[in-house]
Amino acid sequence: MNIVVAFKVVPDDQDIQIAGDRSLDFSKAKGIVSAYDLNAIEAAAQLAAAHPGSTVTAVTAGPASIDDSKLKKNVLARGVDDLIMAADDALAGMDAAATAEVLAAMLADGGYDVVLCGDGSADDYAQQVDVQLAARLGLPSVSAVTKLAVEGDGLVVERTLEDVVEEVAVPLPAVVAVSPDVAVPRIPGMKDILAAGKKPMDVKAAPCVPAATIDVVSCAAPEAAERACHVAEASADGAIEQFAAALKAAL
Amino acid sequence: MKALVIAETADAARELSAGARTLADEVVLVTFGQTPEGVSDKTIVVNVPAGAVADDAYATVQAIYDAEAPSVVLAEPRRHVKSVAGRLATAAGASVITDVVEMGDAGAKSLYFGGVGERVRKAAGGVAFYTVAPGTFEGAVPSGAGVVEEVAWVAPAVPLTLKSSREREKGGADLFKANAVVAAGRGFAEESELDLARALCEKIDGGLACSRPLTEGVDWMPSGTYVGVSGLALAPKAYVACGISGQMQHMVGCNRSGMVFAINKDKNAPIFKQCDFGLVGDLKDVLPAVAAAL
Repeated sequence: MNIVVAFKVVPDDQDIQIAGDRSLDFSKAKGIVSAYDLNAIEAAAQLAAAHPGSTVTAVTAGPASIDDSKLKKNVLARGVDDLIMAADDALAGMDAAATAEVLAAMLADGGYDVVLCGDGSADDYAQQVDVQLAARLGLPSVSAVTKLAVEGDGLVVERTLEDVVEEVAVPLPAVVAVSPDVAVPRIPGMKDILAAGKKPMDVKAAPCVPAATIDVVSCAAPEAAERACHVAEASADGAIEQFAAALKAAL
Repeated sequence: MKALVIAETADAARELSAGARTLADEVVLVTFGQTPEGVSDKTIVVNVPAGAVADDAYATVQAIYDAEAPSVVLAEPRRHVKSVAGRLATAAGASVITDVVEMGDAGAKSLYFGGVGERVRKAAGGVAFYTVAPGTFEGAVPSGAGVVEEVAWVAPAVPLTLKSSREREKGGADLFKANAVVAAGRGFAEESELDLARALCEKIDGGLACSRPLTEGVDWMPSGTYVGVSGLALAPKAYVACGISGQMQHMVGCNRSGMVFAINKDKNAPIFKQCDFGLVGDLKDVLPAVAAAL
């Protein structure tokens, strides 16, 4: 089967810094594959491995900076056969609706059986690209998938929702958003990374430039809660007792 | 101005309808699960047939949306409802502003990067779609005659099929319910030292959580127990950070706690500027002493 897996490149959230005016400073945060999209890539690779002759195509869209050789190799070293990337500054700062519009344009020619997406991206966590992409492609979609298997002409998936676990038959082609639990991302070896450099990478300009449908009014770090900051050396007289008493009182 | 509320639980139907009343003159509620009474001007019940999946209610709700032509849509942030909202928004050429925690005059506030930032956003077009977190409209009172209509199910062109549905076994929810959480960080030199934190947990009936290095760097704790960006965001009455330096990436997961306690051997650790009570000392000495004093 032909499997497409969509992923997003986001600034590494471990390296975002807060400036004095509470604005977010991304200057030290390198672009990485959004954490839970790695689980989707792994799910795609495992599905392909279970069905010999399958292909896995990774697809992404974003600003020109996502066209990074290390990042592309990292994706292609994870059981992915080829990569299609729309890297264009016209695609900077897209929300889920815009992302779905661009991915739909990139997939307009069809040729796939299933499009896998991650649970949510580290920045917005909107959980909307999957269903909005499906809406644009005229396909069924299912989210929160924790297990998937081919059965007949379609997929049977287990989705773990807030209160129930549903077993759902999904006709193909379809868009399937997977939960992080679906598969543990592999750690690519040196051989995988070297081989990745030789795999096909199709980097192109924006297939369309979506109009913004949301205005961002403000973006800042939350104000820090006021804390009492009673700090003492543990060896100081009564310090342990005072700490324990405050802890007891808090409960 | 008209608001459309889409919900599957009664609590959300009630709260979102009450919130919708603060934004619009007319409130139409669509339910496809539980249906509370007297919370809207009109309530439209979508009965999901056996074998259908609630996400596929979008085809039915689309007809309601077209007929009602709302200028604001409030949806419950659960997976079934989020799917329906996404389909409606795409058809309307709009975005969904998700997981709103505060609705203000300037716009709707949501977390960004798991709480590292907060963004206020508003719809650029004529209709605004929001999914709204529980508690956002706390205190708002629902009202309305709540005339109930039932609509016939419209199956989408390519439907999903529900083969089975069972109650979910929940694990890891304890940390959300716990009054006290003890979180272990890199200050623990060996896995066996975590027993000191466990002993404190027992004393205060708390759950044991950790910072990211204890699940990613080493495998001492399950990945579902780490607090911070892309992990858990907890708000217990008391949060006891042990051997955790207090990086922003961790603190966004615990800064809504009632009281923050910190134990760290580095007196310059940033956590001491973000806690209520702090002790400077070695975990191996301090944890048993605190447990003994409780």
